Amino acid sequence: MKVNEVPQDNTVEYYEGVKRACYAVNDEGKYVIVTSSGWSDEEFINGLAVKELAENLEKTRKAVLAGEKSPLAYHMERRQMIPEILGKTAGVAVFRVRRHLRPGIFSKLKGSILERYAEALAITIEELKTVPQN
Amino acid sequence: MTETELTSGGKAFVHHHAAHCETGVTAALFGDKGLEISEPMVFGIGSGIFFGHLPFVKWVGLPISTYRTQPGAVFRKAAKRLGGEFVTRKYRNAKKGMEEMRRVLKSGQIVGLTTNIYWLSYFPNRFRFQFNGHNIIVLREIEKGFRVSDPVLEKPVDCLTEDLLRARFARGPLEPHGFMYYPLSINPSPDLRAACIKGMEDTCNMMLRIPLPIFGIRGIRYLSKRLIKFEKTQGFDEACRQLGMIVRMQEEVGTGGAGFRYMYAAFLQEAAELFGSSDLGELSEEMTAIGDIWREFAVTAARIIKKRGKQEETFAKAGGLMLICAGREEELFKNLRDVAGKLKA
Repeated sequence: MKVNEVPQDNTVEYYEGVKRACYAVNDEGKYVIVTSSGWSDEEFINGLAVKELAENLEKTRKAVLAGEKSPLAYHMERRQMIPEILGKTAGVAVFRVRRHLRPGIFSKLKGSILERYAEALAITIEELKTVPQN
Repeated sequence: MTETELTSGGKAFVHHHAAHCETGVTAALFGDKGLEISEPMVFGIGSGIFFGHLPFVKWVGLPISTYRTQPGAVFRKAAKRLGGEFVTRKYRNAKKGMEEMRRVLKSGQIVGLTTNIYWLSYFPNRFRFQFNGHNIIVLREIEKGFRVSDPVLEKPVDCLTEDLLRARFARGPLEPHGFMYYPLSINPSPDLRAACIKGMEDTCNMMLRIPLPIFGIRGIRYLSKRLIKFEKTQGFDEACRQLGMIVRMQEEVGTGGAGFRYMYAAFLQEAAELFGSSDLGELSEEMTAIGDIWREFAVTAARIIKKRGKQEETFAKAGGLMLICAGREEELFKNLRDVAGKLKA
């Protein structure tokens, strides 16, 4: 890749102004570091992955409001966690985390367990018990 | 792009913008102790370039393809081959880990840390995902947090204590356990030539001789053959998701372009000057050409996913490009093995 071939597509929304270092060959055939302001193809592919995460999160939020899942499922997904990671972070066995994703069981949980989840997810207990309405 | 900062000992630290976190941190730690070494040099000596496709190890539900060796290996190998003595510590107790870090920072020493990138809130949101292998340098303590030199960013940034604590002691795959490392002593005039030869030979062995079909050149061939049949075996949507993942691993996760191939070409170029070897210079040019094909593959992949159905660019073409890469890389590493064998330390 030549220096003038380094993509400068200025993908502001995606990079939030952060520039990335790329290796490219200059006119004398030497490798130098060039900062790139973004590449639209890469932005497109990353955008798909981000969109998929957001769509799944939205589905979970609706399921919580419909009473099919507990708010814990929403907050876990928001932190991009899975029961295995959340269980280890909060110090709760994975099978219990999976049980707590059911609304009936979650609503009966003791304060001490909720505290551990809130701490692991970096939110307050009040936030943990609810999901955004829209 | 460079930027100068002060450590708590009052010493100047020059922040270099780097393509990859681990090599950037390692080069900076060496530089802080007075051994100026470039990022590609660390990458080459530490044998960072690799390929692996792990269809059965899933990450966010998708198989992992990697263009580099496992996290931590580059640092370990480069430190050993350059004769640097490093203190490396892991902690069970998070509080103790933070206290130890403060103590070391107060002595004027900067430290490298392995962290989880999701909890580092100074990153743009779209880069933040649960990955436990991001490396950063902490320069000094400031009010409410720490001054951090993250090599993949242009300038040093501030990081909240709470964020850093969570990032260092995050759980999940590849747990960092607060991994902290800093140089104790560094050989001021290491045998660069011997280190380069070792790095090259190790790389050639990994790329050519691992007797498993998912690593090295065999891994590239395996993935490209899977890719050609992708649409039939996985269905179009799933095939697109997996293809997108391959491109993300190649371009997005701080590779300097083309899945580290350009960075390795830069290393070969530096080595060519060091040894005065025109053979290495030619190999560097060939590596650049291979990198360009990898880029073309990424562009093709993006088009396949964008077009959705309109059959201008096909999975067969993407797989074909990758097969070309496999063939040319095999030739290149075989030549490199011969050249490295003849070089004198």
